[in-house]
Amino acid sequence: MTAAQLIPTPDVLQVPWGWFQILLTITFFMHLVLMNILLGCSLITFFRHAAGKSTETNKVISGKLPFTVAFTINFGVAPLLFLQVLYGHFMYASSVLMASYWLLIVGILILTYYGTYIYSLTYDKGADFRTVLSGAIALALLAVAFLFTCNLALMVNPESWSAYFSNPRGTLLNLTDPTLAPRFLHSVFASLAVGGLSIGLYYDFKKRRGDTDCDGGISTGMNWFAGATILNFGAGTWYWGSLPQSVRTLTGEGSAFFLTFLLLGIVAAIFSLIYGLLHRVRSAAYSLLAALFCMVLVREFARRLTLAPWFKTSDLEVVPQYSPLIVFLLIFSAGIGLIWYMIRLVLTDKEVRS
Amino acid sequence: MNYPIWLLDAFGGGTLIALIAVVHVYVAHFAVGGGLFLVLTELKGLREKSPAILEYTRKHARFFLLLTMVFGGLTGVGIWFTIALLSPAATSKLIHIFVFAWATEWVFFVGEIVALLLYYYSFNKISSRSHLILGWIYFACAWLSLFVINGVIDFMLTPGTWLHDNNFWTGFFNPTFWPALFFRTFLALMIAGLFGFLTSVNIKDPTLRHKMVRYCGLWLMAPLLLLLGSALWYKSALPPAQQQMIFSTSPELKPFLSGFVFLSPILFAGGLLIAALRPQAILRPVAWILLLLGFLYMGSFEFIREGGRRPFIIHDFLYSNSILKKDLPQVQERGVLQTARWIKHREITPENRMNAGKELTTLLCLPCHSEGGLLNDISLQARKYTPEGMLAFINSMGTANPYMPPFAGNREEAAILAEYLTTRMVPRFATVPADITPVTVSPLPFDPETSEYVLLAGPTLGTILSSEPEESGIDISYGPPTLRAQLIFRDASPSLIMDGVTVSYSLETGKGLLQGNFAQLDGYFEKTFTEIPSVSSPYQPFLIAELQAEVEGKIVAATKIKLGISTELGCRNCHGGSWRQDGKSGLSRSTAANILVIHDKRSNTNLSADFSKEITVVCSSCHGDFSRGTESSPGLLSLSAAMHGFHAGLLFNAEGNSCILCHSSSETGASHSFDGIHKQLDLSCSNCHGSLADHATGLLKKEGNTGQAEKLLSLLEDKTEVAIDEINPRSPWTMEPDCLTCHVDFQPPETDDGFNIWTENVEGLFHNRMGEAAVVLCSSCHGQPHSLYPANNRYGMAIGALQPLQYQDSPYPIAADKGCAVCHTIEMEDEMHHPGSLATFRNRE
Repeated sequence: MTAAQLIPTPDVLQVPWGWFQILLTITFFMHLVLMNILLGCSLITFFRHAAGKSTETNKVISGKLPFTVAFTINFGVAPLLFLQVLYGHFMYASSVLMASYWLLIVGILILTYYGTYIYSLTYDKGADFRTVLSGAIALALLAVAFLFTCNLALMVNPESWSAYFSNPRGTLLNLTDPTLAPRFLHSVFASLAVGGLSIGLYYDFKKRRGDTDCDGGISTGMNWFAGATILNFGAGTWYWGSLPQSVRTLTGEGSAFFLTFLLLGIVAAIFSLIYGLLHRVRSAAYSLLAALFCMVLVREFARRLTLAPWFKTSDLEVVPQYSPLIVFLLIFSAGIGLIWYMIRLVLTDKEVRS
Repeated sequence: MNYPIWLLDAFGGGTLIALIAVVHVYVAHFAVGGGLFLVLTELKGLREKSPAILEYTRKHARFFLLLTMVFGGLTGVGIWFTIALLSPAATSKLIHIFVFAWATEWVFFVGEIVALLLYYYSFNKISSRSHLILGWIYFACAWLSLFVINGVIDFMLTPGTWLHDNNFWTGFFNPTFWPALFFRTFLALMIAGLFGFLTSVNIKDPTLRHKMVRYCGLWLMAPLLLLLGSALWYKSALPPAQQQMIFSTSPELKPFLSGFVFLSPILFAGGLLIAALRPQAILRPVAWILLLLGFLYMGSFEFIREGGRRPFIIHDFLYSNSILKKDLPQVQERGVLQTARWIKHREITPENRMNAGKELTTLLCLPCHSEGGLLNDISLQARKYTPEGMLAFINSMGTANPYMPPFAGNREEAAILAEYLTTRMVPRFATVPADITPVTVSPLPFDPETSEYVLLAGPTLGTILSSEPEESGIDISYGPPTLRAQLIFRDASPSLIMDGVTVSYSLETGKGLLQGNFAQLDGYFEKTFTEIPSVSSPYQPFLIAELQAEVEGKIVAATKIKLGISTELGCRNCHGGSWRQDGKSGLSRSTAANILVIHDKRSNTNLSADFSKEITVVCSSCHGDFSRGTESSPGLLSLSAAMHGFHAGLLFNAEGNSCILCHSSSETGASHSFDGIHKQLDLSCSNCHGSLADHATGLLKKEGNTGQAEKLLSLLEDKTEVAIDEINPRSPWTMEPDCLTCHVDFQPPETDDGFNIWTENVEGLFHNRMGEAAVVLCSSCHGQPHSLYPANNRYGMAIGALQPLQYQDSPYPIAADKGCAVCHTIEMEDEMHHPGSLATFRNRE
């Protein structure tokens, strides 16, 4: 039995694959930033509680976590949708192989979501409880991140799928995949870095609005950012070394782009680190966003190169129907306008109901 | 066929998706209706200048946010995760067909979250006008989410012309889109009222509490009336076949249909009740009870809607086992094991048959069935069947069992699957033939030199089936047996002796000795029993009667006859239960109970209730049975037409061997009721009676438009071997196959197909016919239908030919091989009984 025999037949597309690739890349980038903030901030608050540093910074984070969960999940829906359009026949198969764990994510997220509300609403009610709860939230989010890593690694590794025949109960995690640990660590360190930077940005924003007691917060955030970024160079190198030989030889289709974005990403990350160490928060943020975007592209090319022996998105059959896309783009634009309108409505309305 | 199947055992069969989906759908509808509830309640507070109502609205908004945004939002994602795990092929189709609908819905989802968070956190911080705008925007986004999802969900139910044009918009605005949208909108408003109860009953001020509870009551009751109207619209928008599937074909949906119908007035009454109540201690539990009833209401609707798609996930496009309708013929031709991707045993060997069976089960059954779970437990179903019954069931899927997809495999795979399900998954049936212990029965002596008389006798029918009503509780037996006898005075010109003759019988039954005399009729003596004599124990499918003929008080002749009575009704092949007697025969009460449950479900009867009160259910009391002298109740089919007509679609077997699933003529059974010469010549039931479908067609056509005749007939359209239009109608018991169809002019047959030419009436039946001399009954010399001499009875050769052995020491028909001396005292040269009667018996072993 060959891996190729197990790969399901994909369904037809309504518009060429490039549209979905663009939508996937953009929405995943948005999700990634939010997810990194959520996981990073959760870990940082826990470490700070555990280290006895339950300062105002933690309280500020606790108040923001529920929204961050809401938007992280919400912005995860779109890339998951577009991923399934392009790679659903890989992802559904890998999801079934680890189904029990995959479905567990939903339960974990519900508990975590409520956990963040409890954490926020009961923040002042006890230091020990805060530590335990923030630890539980961080652990739960780590678990979700790990399971996502497992699935996304499993979906590009059809050669391991035949394990299904000895375990069809959805409990395969493919822990022997060499990319798994470095990939997960790479994500976690990136989350710590982005989480730290988001704290720095928050205090930088306050500082620019005239708040004088922000340097401590900026320092805390940027130190986390810098430390995690330095560690991530190591994790990234490990991750590179674990990628399949066919990817690392840079001989496949798109390898030039892969290499270009990888180098650009590394350069941007180096810049962001330098700015971070200098506590130049906004410059670090711009550099980091550039690095993240490059790494999102690198990730896409890595997936394409890994799957190249079996599948190319350009092979997907297209039966064109553009009107649904046009309607979506119109509603998407209107949605952005509506959100802008609502935020302005709240920010500009100073009249308080009596 | 494209994807692996997640083995869930007890959590399969829809349990997982039902758990997640119904809960989510309830909360998701609250997220829509509750949005309008918030805005209008806030408006109410503003208009009435009531800070208390506004404060209630704020608190309700927090409850609303925590429930809908956290739990509702995530269980929505959970449904997506779940369907992708349980039906990846269908999920992939829906994702690819409606990707931009989902993407659009995501935009509304973002809008909902932003609007709701701003709405809640800006309470009392911005102007009322701006705050209300946020509320309206939230409701608009939530309702538009419903608008989009409704399009996809109802596409699955009624894809309409999308099936032909594959156009996004025709699929989205499908035939049930609008009624479903209205239905769900009203449902969402009702649910807003139900959740409103939960918060309003906790208001501390009794006056405000009463006011707000009544207000919530209006939210429940007013939309309920509109919902019922839209439900009728929804129903009428369904194609007729799906209406039939929901409202008549799927008995499993009846509890949900009843639930929906009964809960409507209960919820309305609940709204009135809670509006009238005042004590908080009573209001709180009532609010929770109403919420639970609402949950059941919603659940009933969702189960009904899902049922309407059967046997598809996307109606008329993708079967529930993830096989595209257009691909089915190809899969059936190649076989599942050769077509599916996630298969280990592609080639079947004697060693891996059951492993292949397990894979077939996983691929074809487990997408819908659990194994030992609460919903659709396949082991419960399989437990009822023997391998043969299961095979017949598998072959009937998609037609007589239209809520199941047609079996996707080939014949070998069907047999393997049936064997696996009934012998491995449910290790209940051992496919070993029944143990038959030979019985010694000797013919009575006959001295051809000194005997003056010959007594020829036997029952009019072959083996009679008895359900033993006293034991089983159900009377589906044939009419009681009739014995006939002819006394012949041996002579150069023998004569039939009637005057001054008494023919008596003595019959040892399972419940003692029966004795009596025959009545004298025109040309023969006859004894008709009033009930079927009990079979003996240990089980044997016959009783032996001894007959004596007396002339003027002197016994002049005696003989033995075999009276075939079998209790081996094959109902348990499909209806479960065990044999009642000796592990090989007898309809058990458990089997009977299962039959009646199905009858009650399908025909809206209440027979199970009678059965449980120890009242024997007599089938022929409603379904007329000529053999028992009963007439059908108005609008009901005759018993024979109902039994054959209903089961023909279910017991379809392409190899034409369905009869043995019910009748007692199986090669592996304990009765072997078909054991005459035709059996030994390898003819089967269908040579004379046609295949089950053909046989049933004749009976149903005779019924005209009575009852369900036309509907049952329509299920046989592609199953008959002879075109339906060409099959002649026939009445059961009186219009039977005619021997002379094959044996034209009593000659050796030129065909072995006796089907479709029926005797005109009872006079033409074999047991009523006589030879050309019009003296001797055909059956006097040839034996009984199905056991024509020389019958090879499995309990002993002599049992099948007692009189031939007695009178001529051979098992062949009386007077075969020019054995005229049985009656004639001189050599005969003329074939006076029928042409060929002086020929040598042809079919010797």
